[in-house]
Amino acid sequence: MSPDSRHLLEVDQLSTTFATPHGLLPAVSEVSFTLQEDETIGIVGESGSGKTVLARTIMGLQPMTNIQVEGSVLINGFQVVGASDPEKRKHWGTDVAMVFQDPMTSLNPVMRIGKQIDETLRVRLGMSRQSAKARAIELLTLVGIPSSTERYDAFPGELSGGMRQRVVIATALACSPKLLLADEPTTGLDVTIQAQILNLLGELQQRLHMSVVLITHDLGVVATRTSRLIVMYAGRVVEIGETRDIFAHHRMPYTRALLDSSPRISNPSHTRLLAIPGRPPNLLNLPNGCSFAPRCSFATDQCHNERPPLTPSSEPGHSFACWNPLPISTRSEMS
Amino acid sequence: MTDLLAVEPLEAKTPLGPLFWACVAWLSLNVLAAILANLLPLQDPLFQNYSALNAGPSLHHLLGTDDLGRDIFSRIVFGSRISILVGIGAMFIGFGIGAPLGMLTAYRRGKFDHIVTTMMYVLLAFPAIIAVIAVLSFWTPRSILKIIIVIGAASIPLVYRVVRAASLSVATRDFVTAAKVQGASSLRILLREILPNITPIMVSFLLIGIASVVTLEGALAFLGLSVNPPTPSWGNMINESRTVLAQNPWLVLFPSLALCLFLLSLNFIGDRLRTYFDVSEVKL
Amino acid sequence: MTSHVPLLSVRDLTVVFGSGSHAVSAVAGISFDIFPGETLGLVGESGCGKSTTGKALMKIVAPTSGSIELDGIDVTRQKGRALRNARSRMQMIFQDPISSLNPRRRIKDIVAEPLDCWKSVVGVERDDLVADLLNKVGIDPAIYGNRYARQFSGGQCQRISIARSLAMRPKLLICDEMVSALDVSVQAQILNLLQDLKEEYGLTLLFIAHDLAVVKNVSDRVAVMYLGKICEIGPADNLYHSPAHPYTKALLGAALEADPDSPVHGEVLQGEPPSPLDPPSGCRFRTRCPYATELCANEEPQPREIAPGHQVACHFPLVP
Repeated sequence: MSPDSRHLLEVDQLSTTFATPHGLLPAVSEVSFTLQEDETIGIVGESGSGKTVLARTIMGLQPMTNIQVEGSVLINGFQVVGASDPEKRKHWGTDVAMVFQDPMTSLNPVMRIGKQIDETLRVRLGMSRQSAKARAIELLTLVGIPSSTERYDAFPGELSGGMRQRVVIATALACSPKLLLADEPTTGLDVTIQAQILNLLGELQQRLHMSVVLITHDLGVVATRTSRLIVMYAGRVVEIGETRDIFAHHRMPYTRALLDSSPRISNPSHTRLLAIPGRPPNLLNLPNGCSFAPRCSFATDQCHNERPPLTPSSEPGHSFACWNPLPISTRSEMS
Repeated sequence: MTDLLAVEPLEAKTPLGPLFWACVAWLSLNVLAAILANLLPLQDPLFQNYSALNAGPSLHHLLGTDDLGRDIFSRIVFGSRISILVGIGAMFIGFGIGAPLGMLTAYRRGKFDHIVTTMMYVLLAFPAIIAVIAVLSFWTPRSILKIIIVIGAASIPLVYRVVRAASLSVATRDFVTAAKVQGASSLRILLREILPNITPIMVSFLLIGIASVVTLEGALAFLGLSVNPPTPSWGNMINESRTVLAQNPWLVLFPSLALCLFLLSLNFIGDRLRTYFDVSEVKL
Repeated sequence: MTSHVPLLSVRDLTVVFGSGSHAVSAVAGISFDIFPGETLGLVGESGCGKSTTGKALMKIVAPTSGSIELDGIDVTRQKGRALRNARSRMQMIFQDPISSLNPRRRIKDIVAEPLDCWKSVVGVERDDLVADLLNKVGIDPAIYGNRYARQFSGGQCQRISIARSLAMRPKLLICDEMVSALDVSVQAQILNLLQDLKEEYGLTLLFIAHDLAVVKNVSDRVAVMYLGKICEIGPADNLYHSPAHPYTKALLGAALEADPDSPVHGEVLQGEPPSPLDPPSGCRFRTRCPYATELCANEEPQPREIAPGHQVACHFPLVP
């Protein structure tokens, strides 16, 4: 982390609250982090951890009704929170773009894939029909779609899941965004295809000098492909730091629980996983103290009553939210 | 091993609301009055009081009288018998045949489904109202039973289509396969697994179906194809009032109001019940 | 633990969907045995036929040809009551935990469903058995027994499914992607529960999944499927340590480990599986295989034993 490098993305005390018929639902609470140019950060969490809502809030995709967003999101100097739709439209595509989990629903099924990329190019960049088509084919080639000239006229339904996700990535890259938000980009794809897509994202990140936020539930996806990592639980950041530090010197018991309960290929067969009891809390009815306390074997009275703040650990940039952190340098030997 | 079963009140539904209960009360009142019409202290709906022709509402005739001096209130109550009987009777036939058939074809699929569904779609393509009018014009003398049978038969393809579509989305779920795998018989699967899941849709469609049949009966009466006068039905009354509309506006107003409120209540209840019992809408 | 007489013996099982030029062999002639007390893992990518295999064993889809012998009895041609009877000795747990329970029934009735179908256990005995089953899977029957299935989360639904499947005391339990819809921390709970119950009830498992790590954690032996064929089958540790089929190796190479020190896989299997409508001649993997030769296109490799219990269907198996 050189101090002179710019922060492309600055998220400060960001909270997203939904008003539901059953009460206020704090999907994201007081999330702060920064991302530099050319950096890839990972966000991991289970379902209900708020990672997807966080991505959509950063993108500015939330509907205006029944939702309250507090804090600030600066992308390349543009304040997303409170921006109007026309302002956001100018900023989408060129500053930030997003790749969604389900490539089938993020593509229009009755529109040829080339046209879907064309449209963006012509509307946003004012390209002519010919040059837009040429650029679209170039983009399809860039994301590794074989015989892209012919595929330009294909409908999304004629492509496999992996190919569709490549098209989605090409659409996202159309206006050369500085920041790419990838929300579970490989969930639902086969392992060999997942590896192809992740490799592609890594290559594109380096080639196009993008910053990437990689959101996933799978620790395996972020382990080798991100430089920093955020662990979320019940809408809050519970641990943040360099990816290596998080894996090797995690302090938050939840991070350890996630690591311990992931099955590994390197384990001998019939390895018993260290499962933690319970499940993520109901966001409508969060405990007063630490949200993880009810499932945590180290929890004390303080954990149940007082919410732990993010506390710096010994490594630079590594913080955790826990009253009774694991001792430093306890790589869990149990797994 | 303990599991923290933090079962939250996923069932915290929005209540049905006072309007819903008002509609239920109104409908019950209608049905009750229709059933007990003979026992209620009502005037004879056929008695012609020549001293009060086309009279407005008064204490003696609550809603006034018609051009023959018959009490409108009494005729509306007795008329509701025909309308409600036709509505319920026709839906009884429609659901009695259409619903089991729809469930069965959706569960069985294959050739049987293909044949029955094609047949039903052919029937659906033919405008039901014209068929009903045609049959009723020739099948004389008309009686309530015949009207019920004809309208009921015409509703079978509609009921079939709705029930089949609803059952199809249930029959492809894993719990139906799971029941099969556990050794449940087809009848058991139809009754235990599929039926409870399509009941809400069926109930709301049933209510809306009754409403449509009541309207249809009104339309038939208007064309003179329902029960023969002087037996009152809502449609009959509206039909008869046409000729004296200028002298006696009450005569068209009250039966129309009765019909209108009845239909509104039915539709509102049906719609409200559907959203209330829709499991998927409750989940966040 | 394992005996030499297989509990389940599958020979040349094929499942063809459609007919004529649209015929797709989802399962194209596979043979394997499962021995009493063991867990056989079945892995492969989507469309490889692993789920269809599970469904064909339960006869949810009709096998086109081949034989399925459970305890020495061929269940392939059974119908009606005999089929229902056979199914009670084999049970299946499905991928989608929410969809596999009827949302409008109480969970104690759901668990009792198999008992009620067979009227094998009735009255107080039935209620006790249901309570016992729910307790076994970690759900308190006194508090939650009367709740509807729709009030439970995915992990809890999967527990209830397990309780239901155990009600008839099956010999073989087929788990079709049973943890893939669950969060990691819940997934670990369910896998541990399955392991405990397997020992307690003396179950034999066929564990179908796409996740290589999960399969390795639960299985004694593993079979790898590609385009409707088994390309490799062997003891789990052996197969993962020294895969002999190029496809197995590629799968393992693409799998991600939750470890920053694991090697980043620069060499990734290229392309995508060909359409099962028009499978390649000879070896079905040859179009993506880096070692493919003319022999692979002309002749279909037959499974052969390269180590005790380790079979591979490849002309040029990789040597460890």
